This record gives sequence, structure tokens and C-alpha cells, in this order.
Amino acid sequence: MFEINIALRHIKARHRQTTFSVIAVALSVAIIIVSISMLTGFRENIIETTVENQAHITVSPKENEDYISLYHGLEGFIRKQEGVVAVSSYYQGDAAIQHRHNVEGAAFSGVRPMDEDLVLNVKEDLVAGEFESISMAGNRIILGSKLAEKLDVGIDDTVTLSFPGSEPADFKITGILRTGTSADETLAYANLERVQDFYGKSGIVTGVGIRVSDIYTAERLAKRIDRETGYDAESWMEQSSEILNLLNTQRQFVVIFYLMIFAISGFSIANILTMIVMEKVGEIGMLLAMGTSRKSILVIFLLEAGILGITGVTIGCVLGYVSCILLVSYTIPVPPEMYFGLDHLPIRIAPENFLIAGAFSMIINIIAGIHPARRASKLDPVEAIHSV
Amino acid sequence: MSDKNIIQITNLTKIYGDGVLIKALDNINLTIERGEFMAIVGPSGSGKSTLLNMIGILDTPTHGTIILDGVDITQASEKKRSKMRNQKLGFIFQYHHLLPDFNAAENVMMPLLINGIKPANARAKAHKMLEEVGLSERISHRPRQLSGGENQRVAIARALANSPDIVIGDELTGNLDSKTSEKIYELLRKLNKEHNQTFILVTHDERMAEKTERIIRLVDGKITEDKTT
Repeated sequence: MFEINIALRHIKARHRQTTFSVIAVALSVAIIIVSISMLTGFRENIIETTVENQAHITVSPKENEDYISLYHGLEGFIRKQEGVVAVSSYYQGDAAIQHRHNVEGAAFSGVRPMDEDLVLNVKEDLVAGEFESISMAGNRIILGSKLAEKLDVGIDDTVTLSFPGSEPADFKITGILRTGTSADETLAYANLERVQDFYGKSGIVTGVGIRVSDIYTAERLAKRIDRETGYDAESWMEQSSEILNLLNTQRQFVVIFYLMIFAISGFSIANILTMIVMEKVGEIGMLLAMGTSRKSILVIFLLEAGILGITGVTIGCVLGYVSCILLVSYTIPVPPEMYFGLDHLPIRIAPENFLIAGAFSMIINIIAGIHPARRASKLDPVEAIHSV
Repeated sequence: MSDKNIIQITNLTKIYGDGVLIKALDNINLTIERGEFMAIVGPSGSGKSTLLNMIGILDTPTHGTIILDGVDITQASEKKRSKMRNQKLGFIFQYHHLLPDFNAAENVMMPLLINGIKPANARAKAHKMLEEVGLSERISHRPRQLSGGENQRVAIARALANSPDIVIGDELTGNLDSKTSEKIYELLRKLNKEHNQTFILVTHDERMAEKTERIIRLVDGKITEDKTT
């Protein structure tokens, strides 16, 4: 195939200029691979954190009701459903929490610690104390780390909880939790029965948390519970729809950004090819005179775009991989407040990201080569030969 | 058209321009036999290069027909025209138009590769052709490493590589000194006798034209003289 010979010679003869085009393509591919790897890692981490820090399904009271009264029966029904791993009923209310002169608002949750841990893996987040301690006799409480910091309290300190209409009660701190999310600022756990007593609501709960074996079946199961019990059951996807929407919107913006980067590298290919075509007008004329078809002329210049593109993409993939490995080795800290509780940039190196970046780059490079290649193939041989 | 005629031109007219029309060729009728060694002469703008481009299937006429080896090339498809340029015709221009990124042998191989000949066979043929034009020592040299005369001889070897029926030369010695031009003409004459190919050479150099067997004189797009020398 003489076309590839000519294409390779054109590139080799202009190695300085073509090197710059290859570098432009390689850099664009590497930047995009690193960026996609960061975003994939970020997305997966956000979903993981979101799923880990909340029940996969949350059952709330029926419409126009404030509480779930017959929660034991509801728990029994849910436990029978396929794929359900754990069920935890809770009573959650607002309360003011005080230590000496410090007063803060808290989301005061009454739970059965064993059940709650099975649903939310609470123990993993415990930085001090024992989670089961709240089921022991007496008023015991576990606080979120930031709430404890604001109240300036630690293990074994006593805090006073109060709520309009309820008798203020002292609780001894027996544990500190750090989930890495904003919940750390308001979280307060105590035993379910004690919290029900505190609010004067014995025998009722405000919600039921459920953990399932496959998080992507949560939506279907929530709908069934909703339909069959009349209670309002929401999956983690519905509850976190804002975050998921935000991630999807972010993905759309990022695609535009990627296309712009690829377009810049595409222009560098178009530029070098246009230059070669302009330099080679006489040569193209002679090739046509020797019987080269217009299709072959088109193929020669598209091959040049392809060769430059594939070289750039290969170098870019290697460069992108090395950059990702380096970024994984050096943890880059980020402020958790701005990154949904993440304290470092997560990177996920996935083969499909290399494939996507490489394929898109190749498509844009070939498109960039079409105009100069068509221009070359449409030259009039007589004019081309006599242009020298 | 009898078998001994390779080209039959009938009522060939070429008009250029949109607004102001220029008649480059005016009702040309011409028959060229196989193996002829002929020249087309005439002053600048007489239409000799236009006629050559028509015979070389590089341009299309406004009216008339050109039958080349039994095929009406004015009606042929683009694909057929390319194929005929490759297999039936060899071109030598004033500027050699060698591919600068390829050496002498690779340049001569090019029409053979375009014709789908295997690279090993094409290389062997290219070496033979370069030997015939006296450049067997220069096969690996690139055009910039060769003199003007040597480059033109490589261009001749390339034009003859596919053993075409017709070799077209457009002012092919226009860029060379008279001594080198003489040598090139002698070489072409020798090749013409050896291969029995038709040579049609456009020149404004009357002295060179006299070295051919037949001279066609064009003035204002018309044949004013057709003489055998």
C-alpha cells in the first residue's frame, strides 16, 4: 500500500512540526484521562459515602401522620422481604443540648444500637467509646465529633438535653462519632426507649431504616413497601437525588470542557496537515498524473492524521497512566466542606476511561484531517503541476 | 481507428474562461501512430501545453473526442482516466516533480506501486530503468543530492517504469543547459527506438524539435504545420 509509505515519509520529513502536534494530542489525552479518573473516583466515592451514611431505604409515617405506631409489625413485614439485610426503627426529634454555657441544636435519635449498626455501620465511624453503651442502664449518649467540639465535651462528660414540653435530662457521653459529613455537627444517639420516654412518645417511632444486599434493588423494594403498607418508603437514590443530579450536571459540563481540549489538539493536526498539503501541491499534481486516484490522495492525508493521532493517543495514555499512579501515591488533601465530606481527591484508574479518551481523541483527529485531505484530493492536476 | 494509430483526435476544442472566452484549442484533428517520436512546437499561448494535457488525460476538452488506444478518454470515468494515466501514459515535466522525501529508486517505483505491482518486483524494475538512463550508481540518492540533469533522467526512468504506450514531455529540457538537453534528447531517442513507445514532446526550442521525426506547429490553437523531418 503505497499510500502509507507516502504518509509516513511526509511525517518523517517534517518531524519537528509533527512532534509538536503529537505532543498536543498526547497532552490533551493525558489531561482528560487524569480528569476522568478523578471524576470517576469522586463520583464513586460520593455514592459510596452517601450510601454508607444513610439507610438504603427509609420508611416514614403515612401522609398526614407524624409517627409510625405499629412499628413492630412493620419491621416484621420488611424483614420478610427478599434482599433485606437489617432493619432499624428510630425516633428522631430536635433537642437543645447544653454543657455549661455552651448550647447547641441536636438531631436526637433513639435507636437500638445493634440494629442501627447493622443498617448504618455506625461502629466504623466511632472514634471514642462503645456504641452498645447506650443500651446499658442510665442516660447515655453518643455525640457527633463536631457537636462535641462545639460543646467542648469529651467521654464521661455530662450534657443536658431539653425540649419544650419535656423534662430536661442529663446524659453521660459514652462515645464520639465521626462520619465525615455535616451530620457530625448535630448527631446525638441514645437508646430508643429512653428517647421515646424523653419526648413522652412511648411505643411509636418516626422512621424505619433498612439495609439491603444490593443497593440498586433499593428503589424497587421501596416502591413495594410503599404500595403494600401505605407508609412512605424512599430509597437512597430518591433521598440523594440532589447529589446525583449535581453529579450528572457536572458530567455534562465536563464533557463540553473535554471537547474543547480535544478541539485544540485537533486544530494542531489540521494545522500541520494544511501546511503539508500547501507544500506538496506540485507533488500531489504529479501523483495524480501518475494515475493515483483522488481517493488514494484522500487516504494519504487521512492516514497522516491517523498516524499522528494514534502516536499522540498512545503517548497520552502512558502519560495519563503514570500521572494517575503518581497522584494516587501522593494524597492530595481537599477541604471536606467543599467536597461532600471527602478529605482527599480520590482517583480511580479504569481501562474504560483510557478507551473513551483515546477513541474520542482519534475521532476528532480524523475529523480534523478531513478538510486538508479533501482539499488535497480535489486539486486540479494541471494547476497543481504548474504551481511549482 | 487502425491498430497502428495510438491517438486519434477529432474536432478538439478547448475554451477557457467564464466572462472573456479564450479558445486555447480550435477544432484540432490529429492522428498519432504507435512508436512516433514527435514534437509539438509553437509560440507561448499557442495551445501546445493544453493539447498535451488533453492527450495526457489531465484536462477535459470543451468539444471533440480523443481516442487513446481504442478508448474515448473524453467519456471515461474518473477511475478509468486515473488507471489509463497510470498504465498508458508516462509524464516528464519541465520541473522533474520527483517526490523529495523518496530516493531515486523509490521515485521510479512509485507508478509501479500505484499500479499494484509488488514492492520487490517494482524495485527490480526501477533498478533496471535507472540503469537504462545511466543512473545505476545513484539509486539511493534523493532528488536534492542529484544534479538537474540527473533528476530529469530519474523522471524519465519513472515515466517509462510502467512501460506506457505514450510518453509525454512538456518543456522537459526547459530548465537544463544546452549540453544536458542534447544528452536528454539523445537518451529519449534511444529509448524510443528500444521500446517502440510513442514520444510526444512539447518544446519551444526549434533546434530540439528538429531532432524528432515529426513536428506539429500550433498557432492560436490551430495546427498550422504538420511536417515529417
